[in-house]
Amino acid sequence: MQLKADHGAIRRQLMLASCSLLGVATARAQQAGDAAAPVDTSEQTFESAISYYHEDGRITAIEPMVSLHSDDGNGTQHTLSAVFDSLSGSSPNGALPSSKPQTFATPSGSSLNSTAQTYTTASGQSTTSVAPTYVVDAGQLPVDPKYQDMRVALSALAQQPLRAFDRWRFGGTLSWEHDFLSLAGNAGYSRDFNEKNTTLSAGLNEEYDLLKPIGGAPVPGSDYSLFQKQGNKNKNGVGLQLGVTQVMTRRWLAEFNVTADRFSGYLNDPYKIVSILDAQGNTTGYVTEKRPGERLRRSAYLENRVAFDRTTVTVAGRYMNDDWGVHSSTLEANLRWWNPDHDRYLQPSVRWYRQSAADFYTPWILASTGNYSTLETADARLGAFHAATFGLKYAIKISRTGSLPGQEPSEFNVRLQVYRQDADQKRANPTALQDIELYPALRAVMLQVGYRFAY
Amino acid sequence: MKNAMKGRRRPWLAAALVAGATTAMTLGGCSSLAGQVGVKPWQRELLSRQDMQLDADPLDAAIDEHMYFSKEASSGGRGFGGGGCGCN
Repeated sequence: MQLKADHGAIRRQLMLASCSLLGVATARAQQAGDAAAPVDTSEQTFESAISYYHEDGRITAIEPMVSLHSDDGNGTQHTLSAVFDSLSGSSPNGALPSSKPQTFATPSGSSLNSTAQTYTTASGQSTTSVAPTYVVDAGQLPVDPKYQDMRVALSALAQQPLRAFDRWRFGGTLSWEHDFLSLAGNAGYSRDFNEKNTTLSAGLNEEYDLLKPIGGAPVPGSDYSLFQKQGNKNKNGVGLQLGVTQVMTRRWLAEFNVTADRFSGYLNDPYKIVSILDAQGNTTGYVTEKRPGERLRRSAYLENRVAFDRTTVTVAGRYMNDDWGVHSSTLEANLRWWNPDHDRYLQPSVRWYRQSAADFYTPWILASTGNYSTLETADARLGAFHAATFGLKYAIKISRTGSLPGQEPSEFNVRLQVYRQDADQKRANPTALQDIELYPALRAVMLQVGYRFAY
Repeated sequence: MKNAMKGRRRPWLAAALVAGATTAMTLGGCSSLAGQVGVKPWQRELLSRQDMQLDADPLDAAIDEHMYFSKEASSGGRGFGGGGCGCN
C-alpha cells in the first residue's frame, strides 16, 4: 500500500516537473502536486513599477509601467505591458562650449535672431514676441533648457505550444511620442531537446519608425543657421536572433544569443548639431549632424544563472559591434541574497560598459577643412567612453490572505542605481578653450519602486 | 584626426563569450550524452525557482534597457534592442 502511494506521488511530481522550465507556475504545481485532486497550474501575475531617473544638471524622467502576465501551466502564455514616460530638463544639443555666449534656436525656431518683434494680430491688437531662442553662457555646455517629452508604449506577447517540445511566440509594440512613432512586430520559434535540458530558439523582429521632428527634420550636414528643414522621415529595421539555453547542472542555467539587426533610413538625431571652430578654437558656426543611412549591428550575449540555497548569482556579458565602427563590451553581475525564511532578499548589482567611437564621431569640425557635408556627429553617445552602474535592490515577500498553497507571494521591492559615464580618448582642447571642460561626465541616479502579485 | 578618436577594439571579449558559450554548451551536450549532465525532471527544484528564470524581473530589465538605449550606442542582446523610443 505504502509503495503504491509513493509511486503515485512520484508520478505526479514527474509529470508536473516536466511541464515546463519556464515560469513560476511549475514551482507552484510541484508543491501543489501532493494533493490528490486535479491541479490547476494556471497563474496570472500583475507587475507594476515606477522609476525616477535624474541626471545631474540634465534630464529628469518619471516612468510608471504595468504588466499583466498569464500562464495556463501548459505552455500558453500572454503578456500585456504599458509604459508611460515623462521627461523634462536640459538636453545637450551637440555643440561645444565656447569662450563666448552662444545663441541657439529651439527645435521649433527658424531664426537665431532673438530681438523682440512687434506684430499686429488679426483683431488689430499689437503684441510683442521673441523668436524661440536660448542663450548659453560662455564656458557652459550647450543644452536645450526646455526639453520636454512624453512617451506611451504598449506591447503584447503571446506564446503558444505546438507540441510537447516546441512553441511559437508572437509579439508587437506600439510606441508614441509627439515627434516619434514606432511600430514593431516579432515572431519566434523554440524547441526543446535532451529532456528539456537544451532549448534552441530563433526569432525575427521587424520595426518601422516615423520621425516627426518639431520644426521638421534638418537636412543632414547643412548649415545650422540656414534652418534647412524637411518633412517627416522614417527608418526601418529588421533583426534576427538565434539562441541556445542549456541546463548545465541542477543549479546552473546558461543562455547564449547571437543577434544581428540592420536599420536604414533617417538615422540622424534631428536635434543634434556640430560646432565649427577656427584654428584658435573660436566657434565660427554649426552644422547639423550627418550619419550614414544604414547601420548593421551584431552582438553576442552570454548569461549564466547559478542557484544556491539562499543566493542566486547572475553573470552576463555582451560584445557588440556595428559597421559604424562602434565596438562595445558589457559585463554585469548581481547576487540575490535571501534571508533564512526566504521572504526577503537583498540584491547588489554592478555593470561595466565600454565603447569605442563611431568612425564619423568628431567633437568639433575645423573650419580650415572647408567641407562640412561629410559624415559627422558630435553626439557623445557615439563617442568613446566607459560607464559603470552600481545598484542595490531590496524586496520583501508578503503572503496574501486566501492564496493557494505554493502560490508565489506578493513582492514589494525598491531599487536604487547610480550611473556614471566618462569620455575616453579626449582630443586636446584648442587654445581658446584651454580652461573649459569639453567632456563633462554624465552622472545619473535611478530610484524604482515595484509591486508584484500572482493570483 | 577622426581615426585618432576611434577607440580600441576588444575582440577578446567576443572571443571569450563565444568560447565560453561553446565550451559550456559542448560540455553540457556531451555530458548529457554520457548521462552526467543535464538534469532529470525531478532535479529541477532550484531551476524552477522564480529567480532562476531568464526573465525573472522583466520590468527591471525594461527600465534598464530603456536607460542604456538612450545613453549608449549599444542595445539588445537578451532580446531585440533599440526601437520604441526616439531618444537615440
